[in-house]
Amino acid sequence: MPESRNSRLTRPETLTAVGIIVVAAGFLVPTYDLRAISALLPAAMLIGLIVLSVFLLLADQRKASAGEDAAPMTKAPKRVIGAFLMIVSYALACDFVGFYISTAVTIPLVAWTFGYRSPVGLLIATVIVVGTIWAIFDFGMSQDFPAGRLWGR
Amino acid sequence: MYSDLLHALPDVFAWTNFAAVVIGVIAGIVVGAMPGLSATMAISVLVPFTFGLEPLVALGLMAGIYNGAMYGGAIPAVLLRIPGTPAAVATTFDGYPMAQKGEGGFALQVAVVSSSIGGIASAFALMLLAPPLSKVTLLFGPSEVFWVAVFGLASIIFLLGGNPVKGLISACFGVFVSVIGSDPIYGNDRFTFGQLEMLDGINIVILLVGLYALPPVIDLLETPLKTDGVNSSKLGTEPIWKALPRMKSFWKTWLRGSFLGIWIGILPGAGGSMAAFMSYNEARRTSKHPETWGEGEPEGVAAAEVANNADTASALIPALTLGIPGTAVAAVMLGGLLVHGLQPGPMLFRDNPDIVFGFMWQFLFGAILLVLLGGSLATNSFARLLNLPRPLLGSVIIVLMLIGVYSIHGRMFDVYLMLGFGAIGWVMDRLKFPLPPVVLGLILGGFAEENLRLALRIGRGDPMVLFQNWTSLILVALTVAVVVGPTLKKRFIDSRKKA
Repeated sequence: MPESRNSRLTRPETLTAVGIIVVAAGFLVPTYDLRAISALLPAAMLIGLIVLSVFLLLADQRKASAGEDAAPMTKAPKRVIGAFLMIVSYALACDFVGFYISTAVTIPLVAWTFGYRSPVGLLIATVIVVGTIWAIFDFGMSQDFPAGRLWGR
Repeated sequence: MYSDLLHALPDVFAWTNFAAVVIGVIAGIVVGAMPGLSATMAISVLVPFTFGLEPLVALGLMAGIYNGAMYGGAIPAVLLRIPGTPAAVATTFDGYPMAQKGEGGFALQVAVVSSSIGGIASAFALMLLAPPLSKVTLLFGPSEVFWVAVFGLASIIFLLGGNPVKGLISACFGVFVSVIGSDPIYGNDRFTFGQLEMLDGINIVILLVGLYALPPVIDLLETPLKTDGVNSSKLGTEPIWKALPRMKSFWKTWLRGSFLGIWIGILPGAGGSMAAFMSYNEARRTSKHPETWGEGEPEGVAAAEVANNADTASALIPALTLGIPGTAVAAVMLGGLLVHGLQPGPMLFRDNPDIVFGFMWQFLFGAILLVLLGGSLATNSFARLLNLPRPLLGSVIIVLMLIGVYSIHGRMFDVYLMLGFGAIGWVMDRLKFPLPPVVLGLILGGFAEENLRLALRIGRGDPMVLFQNWTSLILVALTVAVVVGPTLKKRFIDSRKKA
């Protein structure tokens, strides 16, 4: 039985193709302000992206018409979204709270959340990783890590 | 030019450069042994940390990792039937049955010796073939260089297999990313949206880490692999010198696999997996007892492993001479060369002979060290790494990614940019968009644009300047062949099937 109209439009490849078309069209606008020779390659690539995405869209919709199910992007969407959010949160925390505090919290938090539940193992791993980073990068190479915008530095 | 090769040798023995190869091989085996991590990912994570290092130290690490990971992939392939790297799939066919029969230790000995032989052959091919090829490319002017870039992109898109539309989308995306920043000739800002951080363009390392390191981390966290370390604790490997006499009869397989691996490595778009499969099939076809293959035939492990390592250095022949990487790892290594100011192509051999030839020696030593570092005791230890908890590994890689990207310019903007590329990379990976064309697009895009504009200036705006000599025309013909070839081949096969 063919999929419903709604699900046909939410197929991952269809959504990706539409996304590329919209973003590429958006990027195409600033090329009008450029010199022709400067705009040549970027405009060609953006138009190429739009045309190719239309092909991708049509091919995917043709598959949908033939009743072919789209493979899901992930079997564990919650875990994937969780992982992405944790990585983004870690970056934001480094930026605003500071590198060492964020790292000391993130390593055990991520590992615990995704299935490693040994408190001793987590403690040892966190101490080793944070200590090694400090010894090599901070102490050995004088590398400055984000100190945290919230502390006004 | 071969005299430069010898002149570069003493530099390689500087203790820092040699230590880099040793550390690289060990790290590569560790990475390869862990399913979900690959040489491509390891080198992507490593590249930003090498900024402050001497080029030969950085390149030694990369060469070591590449060699080590290609063998390391055999460890879980033999013990768990999970290939540590895609190139180790064919190793599972006979490696795992050997482990089930209690011969896992010997299977890994065969793998390490074969990997080393393949790596040595590949390094020699790189040393012998790259210098003369680089001389040919010295004759290239702007229009020829432009066509080389187009040919490189076309090869990666169309020979990589899969869906050409997706390959083209990846390449267009890569080329588009290459034009972000100041116009190299007029200085106009292109797509910087007022961000000063974007004026210099997108640093290739940010793209590499985002595309190649973030998706595997998400994979690690998405499905924490339940590994069975039982086989790893009772390997009982004997010393290499005791195991070697049992491998005497494999010499033909090693020879054939080395040639196949080198040849496939040179071809843009093909890779270690294809080399391993072809070598395995050929060895099985010519075997006197093909019925035992798939049930624990050590020669099967030898065939797969010699070929997937023979593909390593040879994939760098087109990368170093023309700037066209043969594989994804070669594309990432090309990025590694670029961050050290080493522009692949003919000038590389003229301007930096010590570094480029030193790099070749490092490949050779990396392959030799594989036997010593991946031998009996080490293999036992590396096999135990399979028991490491995946979520912990994932969290540590996240931290390393952030440190690496932040260290490039000391700003969080790059980290956010990397996360953006990572999200794009994950979607591309899941929808089976090939990633190498993106990297190649970024590397060759600016290069192609600059040479196209230069050629047009020379020709006073006449596009026919791009077709005015035989070299250009040959490159155009090769590009057309690469684009049309697979379709014609498919039609030919289909028509023969119908007949």
